[in-house]
Amino acid sequence: MIQLTHLSKRFGDKIAVNDLNMILEPGKVMGLIGQNGAGKTTTFRMILNFIVPTSGTITWDNRPITQKDKQKIGFLPEERGLYQKLTIEEQILYFAELHGMSRADAKSELTHWLKRLDVVGKASDKVQSLSKGNAQKVQMIASLIFKPEFIILDEPFSGLDPVNTSIMMSEIMRMRDQGAMIIFSSHDMNNVTKISDNLTMLKQGKSILQGGVQEIREQFGRTKVYIEGPFSREELAHLPGVINVIPQGAGFDLTITEDHVGHDIFTYVTKNGYIPAFSQQPPTLDDIFRQEVAHNA
Amino acid sequence: MLNGLNVVIKQTYRNHFKSRGYWLLVLSPIIFTAIIGGIVFGVTKMQGNTTPTVAIIGNQNVRQIFVKSDKTLDMKISSITDAKQANTALDKQSLDGVVTITSNDNATLTTQPKSNHINKEAIASILGNLSRTQKASSFGLTAEQTQALSQPFNLKSVVKQANNKSTNGDNSNTANYGIAVAIGIITWVVVMWYTSMIATEIANEKSSRIMETLLAATSSNIQYFGKMIGIFALAVTHMLIYVVAGTIGYFSFKDNAIVKSFSQTFSSMTLGFSIYAILFILVAIALYLVLTALIASLINDNSQVQQAIQPITFLAMIGYIFSFIMTNMPNNFAIKILSYVPFVSQSMMPVRLVTKVETWPGGIISLIIAFVSLILLAWFGKKIYAKNVLSYSDDKIMSQLIKNITRHD
Repeated sequence: MIQLTHLSKRFGDKIAVNDLNMILEPGKVMGLIGQNGAGKTTTFRMILNFIVPTSGTITWDNRPITQKDKQKIGFLPEERGLYQKLTIEEQILYFAELHGMSRADAKSELTHWLKRLDVVGKASDKVQSLSKGNAQKVQMIASLIFKPEFIILDEPFSGLDPVNTSIMMSEIMRMRDQGAMIIFSSHDMNNVTKISDNLTMLKQGKSILQGGVQEIREQFGRTKVYIEGPFSREELAHLPGVINVIPQGAGFDLTITEDHVGHDIFTYVTKNGYIPAFSQQPPTLDDIFRQEVAHNA
Repeated sequence: MLNGLNVVIKQTYRNHFKSRGYWLLVLSPIIFTAIIGGIVFGVTKMQGNTTPTVAIIGNQNVRQIFVKSDKTLDMKISSITDAKQANTALDKQSLDGVVTITSNDNATLTTQPKSNHINKEAIASILGNLSRTQKASSFGLTAEQTQALSQPFNLKSVVKQANNKSTNGDNSNTANYGIAVAIGIITWVVVMWYTSMIATEIANEKSSRIMETLLAATSSNIQYFGKMIGIFALAVTHMLIYVVAGTIGYFSFKDNAIVKSFSQTFSSMTLGFSIYAILFILVAIALYLVLTALIASLINDNSQVQQAIQPITFLAMIGYIFSFIMTNMPNNFAIKILSYVPFVSQSMMPVRLVTKVETWPGGIISLIIAFVSLILLAWFGKKIYAKNVLSYSDDKIMSQLIKNITRHD
């Protein structure tokens, strides 16, 4: 278990991370969200001992993270970097060896990884000949091939198309199922919702939301209603308790003041019987993120 | 820790050892030497027979003496004895020269524009000896008296050493100058090659952000020392390749006149001194690598590599220049002091030691100072490296370095 306790980092007058507390558990994924400059990368850098916290502690099973522990950490940095003139194999074997894996084991594992992540090219290809997406997959392999117990992924999906994003997500979930502790940052709330068990939302270095994804969404009440039926936007907008109405595909997205307003709207829209769609949901993480950013501005 | 260090050393060594650039670096001087040697050999061969053919006209007894001495004179004596025939042959360029002996004291050497080189001093020496012998005979001197008068004065050059052993002065001077220049050049060239290599390596990892991935697995100390040891091992391999190539070359051409004179010149070097000089060169290279790694950690990208290694180049140049000028003024006060200053002492102290201007205790102290400086600089450098290798500043490299030295946060 990784535990961050009252972690703070100050750069001169600027507070990058402010009294952050967090627990990462084996087999669980923590999503770290926040605007640019919210303190996500600084948090990762403190965990990896690249920078020293101004105050607070970081422990792994209740003891400080040692150099030996670092070999068990898989890290994908935000700014990707590979040796352009080395081949995929040379590159991966070096990083695997640094993490204590034998070259022979890494070599045999690499074949499976290249296949599973659908990397276009051979192990003997130089990195400089790879597309951006493939290079990113190679970097992901370098971070995970040695079966790390703790995985830190800084913006793992940035720059990837939906197919490759889906492949990467499958790998993260596979590592989670094998018992790894995972923390990742992302701007894409949809991806965070799909793979996170817990999330922490940072704003100006401070944690403003923390907990299970569904639990956080439920905190905000089921204030989102989707309706498809023979109604006009004006008609729906005039219903009591409706804050706004936005056309969405064949229907409308309604934002309501409180959960129970949903009952009244349901009664109204079904007064003549069947309608194709009615769904009352808590706000999406994207909505919550926007709301919280605006609220705390 | 040791395993990680081992991995970084091996990777650094392997990557460069397998690269085309490294072998170009290693082989280019050998190829260059072979090409120059080939050209010299080719030109010599193309010149064909360069032994001049000379006719001796006049006293036939004198001619016979020339005929008997033609091998030592490195010339062929023509069978022509008639002046007219000789001049015709000279006009047709079938003769290189005609020596016309007019009296006991006078002779004329006539050549043509395309004549091969004729050793005039040797001709004058033979004729002079004959003249002296004839005059001595007319003065009534015996053969022994004549021989004694002809004997040149023998001035021998000897250097008196502290241990009462004397060495051949001419050879020692050549050897010392050769050692000074060789150490200066070796250190300079190796430093230039390998400082650039380590600076590029670190700049590349920093600018491409690979450093973050590396430091996630290992410590900055492992990266710092691993890279330096890896590059140092490459430099040692490089020199070993030359030693092996030199040994093979020596045994292949040991009967060659140039190789013989070369090995004779350096015969005054002892095994102890050779080991000392090599140790000094290795410590100096390590010192320069540590300094470069330290400064390279302040680089943001590859475009700053030259800016970073420029001061190191200047520093190395001081030793290089002094290695040329110091043989003429070994007791100069500045040179005495510089012989103990790390980064330049490798170009001074070994030569002062071999010329006996300095004694072994002084030489050992200078080497120890260089070694201790290496340890201290490495220890200081690892802190600078750890502090800067993941930070990116817009300041100039030297001002960053000064800030790092003066700030203690």
